[in-house]
Amino acid sequence: MIEVLLQTLLNGAASGGVYALVALGYTLVFSVLGVINFALGALFSLGGYLTYLLMGGSIGNNGGLPGWGLPIGLPFLPALLLAAGLTGLASLAVERLAFAPLRRRNAESLLYLITSLGAGLVLVNLLQMLMGAEGYSFPTAALAGLPDAVTIAGARIRSVQLLLLGVCGAAVIVLTLWLEKSRTGRALKAVAEDPTTAKLLGINSDAMLRLAFAISGALAGLGGGLIGVSISLPGPYVGVSYGLKGLAVLVLGGLGSVPGAIAGGLLMGLAEAMVPTEASGWRDALAFAILFIVLLIRPSGLLGQRVVDKV
Amino acid sequence: MHHRQRGALRLSAVLATGLGLVAVLGAQADPASRPVPAASAADGTLQLGAVLALTGNANLYGQDQRQGIALARQWAAGLKPQRSLHLQLEDGGSDEATAIGAFNLLIRQGVLALIGPTLSQQSFAAAPIAQRHGVPVVAPSNTATGIPQIGTFINRVSAQSSVIAPLAIAEAVRRDPKLQRVAVFFTHDDAYSTAEAKIFQQALNDRGLPPVSVQRTQLSDNDFQIPITAVLQTRPELVVMSMQAVAGGNLIRQLRELGYRGQIVVGNGFNTANIYPICQRWCDGILIAQAYSPELNTPINQTFQQLFARTNPDQSPSQITAQAWTAYQVLFEAVQRLEQRNGFQGRNLGQARDAVLEELLQGSYETPLGLIRFRSDGEVVQEHFYVAEVQMEPDGRNGRFALVSSTTVDTSKPPTTQQ
Repeated sequence: MIEVLLQTLLNGAASGGVYALVALGYTLVFSVLGVINFALGALFSLGGYLTYLLMGGSIGNNGGLPGWGLPIGLPFLPALLLAAGLTGLASLAVERLAFAPLRRRNAESLLYLITSLGAGLVLVNLLQMLMGAEGYSFPTAALAGLPDAVTIAGARIRSVQLLLLGVCGAAVIVLTLWLEKSRTGRALKAVAEDPTTAKLLGINSDAMLRLAFAISGALAGLGGGLIGVSISLPGPYVGVSYGLKGLAVLVLGGLGSVPGAIAGGLLMGLAEAMVPTEASGWRDALAFAILFIVLLIRPSGLLGQRVVDKV
Repeated sequence: MHHRQRGALRLSAVLATGLGLVAVLGAQADPASRPVPAASAADGTLQLGAVLALTGNANLYGQDQRQGIALARQWAAGLKPQRSLHLQLEDGGSDEATAIGAFNLLIRQGVLALIGPTLSQQSFAAAPIAQRHGVPVVAPSNTATGIPQIGTFINRVSAQSSVIAPLAIAEAVRRDPKLQRVAVFFTHDDAYSTAEAKIFQQALNDRGLPPVSVQRTQLSDNDFQIPITAVLQTRPELVVMSMQAVAGGNLIRQLRELGYRGQIVVGNGFNTANIYPICQRWCDGILIAQAYSPELNTPINQTFQQLFARTNPDQSPSQITAQAWTAYQVLFEAVQRLEQRNGFQGRNLGQARDAVLEELLQGSYETPLGLIRFRSDGEVVQEHFYVAEVQMEPDGRNGRFALVSSTTVDTSKPPTTQQ
């Protein structure tokens, strides 16, 4: 019985960790700009493909450059981190192209939704042109040295899931510590809380915004690389479903709340893991039903702050 | 007559004239009413359409099919046909909406007949459109029950799951007659998978092996740790899967990583060499029933393999590729036979489509799948079926479907039970 419970917890935490990463990506941008970056799902896909290429993978027969690959073959973790960094840069490009022009014109927040969605679609289609629509699996030797699975207190879990859990956990801890302890992190939080006061205090809010986009993209890229090594890359649209789940987690945890994104991700993962096997085909529906119930009880999300309108 | 009445009459007349014009112009725009030019005319080439899944999660099949059709066209060109055929290929995506769009587009462009779409799920949505327009369809890879029954113009060269799927179960039981505990995975939002899973379960029940666990997954799933955990708790000795290739390859890999060492039987969705890069070394040993074997020793199969080897020297063609070749071949031969009898003379496109359908159903065809013909309802009649085992190379990058056994099945009569 304990093994089953532990197994369920580990399964849920592994899935929930990735959801939390994506939700954190949304949270950072939402905190400083008050809008949702719908291109994050596409950046998730980009991170997965970049990790694959940096590990020495080549483009398949249906891609734009069949057989082409980078002349390097990095081990998994360096490839993952480098890919996350490059995805962060791509996220900056999305900010420049899809957000900055609207910001300069003080556009309605709804317009950001459209431009970021458009940027995401363009990115996914570019990926499809370059990589083809075929699935890519990371080389068998990607995690050389690790056993296929390990047994923890009777519960069997794939090593790659543990790795995924570990990297997600480390990313969340590093990000939280950075936000709380570092000067730049605190500056970012200050901009998120009150951009005008932050500006009066000499904080460059534009630079902080760009930083938020870069970190947000890097987190999505990290998620994409981790999912790629865990379950392969089934196609350029792989990030779309994770993007949607991350969005749900963002709302579940409370818009703009970093601890809420983490708690929401874990809750969503655990909710999926606890769906009875007889209803396994309706896992997504049940997970979203939980989201619905939570929001009925707490419209501001699990850890979101209640907004009081002053009259 | 009052002034107002006259105005109403005038308005009615204008509307009636307008509607009449629309009807006349519409009829002229309908390609079915266009006359079929003579084969020797400058525009004597007839159009065939193909709707294949070149994008989305079924693109692994679509790519195999594109290759099969391209090879068949190469072969057909070498025969110096009396009536030239041009193939218009459209991406049908992996969903119903894209397939419907592609069918509509090609029908509007005036194709004589259609090949596709790739998935059964898409056929149930798109084939009725072809049926309404009277355009013959040859489905190259739809195995779900009820595809030819969509309509009189809908045919297939892919034998239905009820014929093929039980053969691999029989082989697994032959290898381990004592096996008792069987688990089944299938994708509950995919027509092909649900139909095939029912057939698998029926075959298991017929052998006194009711599944100890049935796991329903979704088309969008790729992480199966949770359902696998549930299945492993039932200590299965055989796992049966009916899924699309990418998700299925992932499932096999995760199942093996989590320690399952028993037999695995997979459904038609795995009948592509494109699964090898997904499940890699973990694919080794899986059992699959097939409607095609590279080892069938006939001249047309040898030609098919020789042409295939020119671009894929290290691989054998898959069933999906062979079936796509066959879909093109049967249409090509039906058109040429019709042409030899001047069957297109004086006919418009709509009448030519009817004639092609009639010719298609009357013929028999020596194809890479063996000798095939069609039942009057458009169902393929094929004699030979096979069970293969996937054998992966040591590096886990490539493999082959190694023939285990071949079986003769009478598919000339409709099944007694509908699944």
